Amino acid sequence: MKSRSSEIRRARPVLGTIVEIGAVGLNAGVAIDAAFCEIYAIHRLMSFHEEGSDVSRLNRSVPGEVVRVDPRTYEVLVYAQELSRLSAGAFDITVGGKLVEQGFLPQPHGAAPVDSEASFEDIKLLANDSVSLTRRLWIDLGGIAKGYAADRAALALKMCGVTTGIVNAGGDLYVFGAPQPIHLRYPNNPSLVLPLGMIANSAVASSSGCFANAGEPGAAAEPLIDPRRNASMKWQRGITVIAPRCVIADALTKVVRLAPRRAPKILSRFSARAVIVDRLGARPFNGQHNEMRHAQARSAVSHRSRAVVPAYRVAALEAK
Amino acid sequence: MKTGQWTWLPIICAPVPAIAVPAYAATYLTVEQAQQAIFPGQKLSQSFVTLTSEQAREIERRSDAKVRHKEVQLWKASGGGYFIVDEVVGKHEFITYAVGLNADGTVKQIEIMTYRESYGYEVRNADWRAQFVGKNVSAPLKLSQDIKNISGATLSCRHITDGVKRILATYEIALK
Repeated sequence: MKSRSSEIRRARPVLGTIVEIGAVGLNAGVAIDAAFCEIYAIHRLMSFHEEGSDVSRLNRSVPGEVVRVDPRTYEVLVYAQELSRLSAGAFDITVGGKLVEQGFLPQPHGAAPVDSEASFEDIKLLANDSVSLTRRLWIDLGGIAKGYAADRAALALKMCGVTTGIVNAGGDLYVFGAPQPIHLRYPNNPSLVLPLGMIANSAVASSSGCFANAGEPGAAAEPLIDPRRNASMKWQRGITVIAPRCVIADALTKVVRLAPRRAPKILSRFSARAVIVDRLGARPFNGQHNEMRHAQARSAVSHRSRAVVPAYRVAALEAK
Repeated sequence: MKTGQWTWLPIICAPVPAIAVPAYAATYLTVEQAQQAIFPGQKLSQSFVTLTSEQAREIERRSDAKVRHKEVQLWKASGGGYFIVDEVVGKHEFITYAVGLNADGTVKQIEIMTYRESYGYEVRNADWRAQFVGKNVSAPLKLSQDIKNISGATLSCRHITDGVKRILATYEIALK
């Protein structure tokens, strides 16, 4: 922890959330500015709301029209399409229409109504960062772009010579350099946190409904759409994914929730692991259908091992 | 250990006890630091602007956001821009932030100065809020120093967005 004194932290509102960036090093201030610049760029490219974004241009495009996008947008689309294929459509960025219908997103300006049959398979990724749609659809990158932005911001920090840093895009974060303690917010009671452990060179992303409707009376559902049922999810538990990249961690939180049976295979393919957080505490996700029963059995055991040392302390001891 | 990506064996063995954080806070910038971050190298001079009731009403009408304080914490930058310190109170959070406006009234930069969240009664308590108003908080609340990186469901920045709308309306009506 000797480096903490020279760490600089800044926070700005962007990507619809509060992004916090911390960096250690002589150039930390300049590096943080560069990292925020990258996040602003990604916001401009991938926002559903901004008329000039790549996403809005795609959402206005006519089927068959070839739209050239920024290489970064293209990269996110490649990731999204791969996850859609692996999860057999459980993860699908073409849920924009449904999110608008349910009031989570505003009606996009100048975009024609969506084809209700449209899915991720109607997005064709062509050569030279070009994209073409085969049906009218509205893409929303809300389930993946924040993670990508965290990765890109971390890259910008590294390129400015930062050796230890963190980018936390409203709860989806990427840590590099010296290990840092990470806590998970408790989904059912946000005033509680759980220690996840010391994390280095990895991303942590979480998904749960607890903040989705903060302050909006009467709202019950949350903005996670199950594309196969075309309905929004209601789920009490939180899912946290630890992965080598934040774009993967961010998207995989949705895959675990929407396709729990396929998830273990997809997680291991990306060298990722998932943790379930609910009123019983945090435990590894193993894809078994009967998670609850396992959890209860385990919590009965845990009464006897109450004096468990928080994970981050164990790691700190090991690091010495 | 160095090459390992994470250490979390205790979680695998048994659920880890939760830690209560009724209040979480982070301090990013003092007023002076925020001024230098947004207007590097420029001289800033404080000016005192108090909104009239009519102006406050008009700002509320245009921005659809409540005017809580009629005193505007305003500095003029030597380059022609404006620096405003503002605060927003959400259901559970209290945020002080600085907005830099270009000479033409467009947003140059927004920096969060302090972020506080509380799940107790404190946010609604005027005394609790008063200790942060208009100054930097150098003495942190009783917090666990180790808890600074929290992963969780994404927080909304809607209150700040509304606050910035209100500041832009304030510029139009009272500063321009």
